[in-house]
Amino acid sequence: MFDLLLRIGIENFIGVPDSTMKHFISQGLKKKKILITTREEEAIGVAAGISLSKQNALVFMQNAGFANSISTITSLIQLYEFPIIFLIGWRGYLKDDAPEHYKIGRIQPKLLKAIGIDSKTVTDSNWKECCKWAMKKVNNSTPCALIIKREFHD
Amino acid sequence: MIRKDAIKIASDMICDSPIISANGYISRDLFEADDKNTNFYMIGSMGLSSSIALGVALKNPRKRIYVFDGDGNILMNLGSLTTIGKLKPKNLIHLVFDNQSHESTGGQPSNTKNIDLYKIAKSSNYKAFKTNSKIGLEKILRKIKKINGPIMILIKITKGGKPGKRITHSPVTIKKRFSQNL
Repeated sequence: MFDLLLRIGIENFIGVPDSTMKHFISQGLKKKKILITTREEEAIGVAAGISLSKQNALVFMQNAGFANSISTITSLIQLYEFPIIFLIGWRGYLKDDAPEHYKIGRIQPKLLKAIGIDSKTVTDSNWKECCKWAMKKVNNSTPCALIIKREFHD
Repeated sequence: MIRKDAIKIASDMICDSPIISANGYISRDLFEADDKNTNFYMIGSMGLSSSIALGVALKNPRKRIYVFDGDGNILMNLGSLTTIGKLKPKNLIHLVFDNQSHESTGGQPSNTKNIDLYKIAKSSNYKAFKTNSKIGLEKILRKIKKINGPIMILIKITKGGKPGKRITHSPVTIKKRFSQNL
């Protein structure tokens, strides 16, 4: 998935690591295309700066970080219309995930809908279409989100 | 020196280099002092001016990118100093207008009265300078032209003065004209 996104035009990947997508992040680190920040909002700020410089950017995070970032998404990304792709790990998808993820995990789809970010949930069979859908959104100057379900326990 | 005076001096000396300015009175004062296509005014997303500037600086290595930040703003995103310090962009110049308060929201105290941002910047790999006078600020701005970043200029200012008028450009206009002039 990392290689495909890179090939179709995403040059910059910024975010805070999430174990749900650790393979994605290690592939990016191997290719020296990943910038890790201290918080998700910081990553979104850097992505906005990259977008001002006419390059494409993806911000990766866990959904706990997405919850932290809602005000930044509405008052920076949506207000100024920055076409950023969010890649969000969905903790709390499994009912027996760690307890701190339960509440945000349960309302994750509603949160995205409430702030008006279009999203697709990535699966083993649709990931290529998801990447191309996200790229199309970027080309239409619209932010969007790709969600990766957490279907395993550490 | 009040914020308005410091912003006018800095903006005049920076000329047409890109400036990312923090939300609140800082952007309003810059807008009133010198509205240029190369100014990116933040309206919301408090704390993120240094991060937006980092993204711009990394992708435009031949241009010097300036940040107009406040003490309340940078305290909300101190982590960004470590990211900037790790990457060491040579072209990033970070001005912090420090009035030790959240003046835009009614003048409540901030922590910079007790905590030294200059030392934090130095230990985050910045080259740091500080001043509390107009002449000092002009001197530093001239001096840093020949120095590689990341650079922090901590400008101690006093509260007061009428805030600048509200920014009349739409956020999308601010983005488009800044981007076209990079």
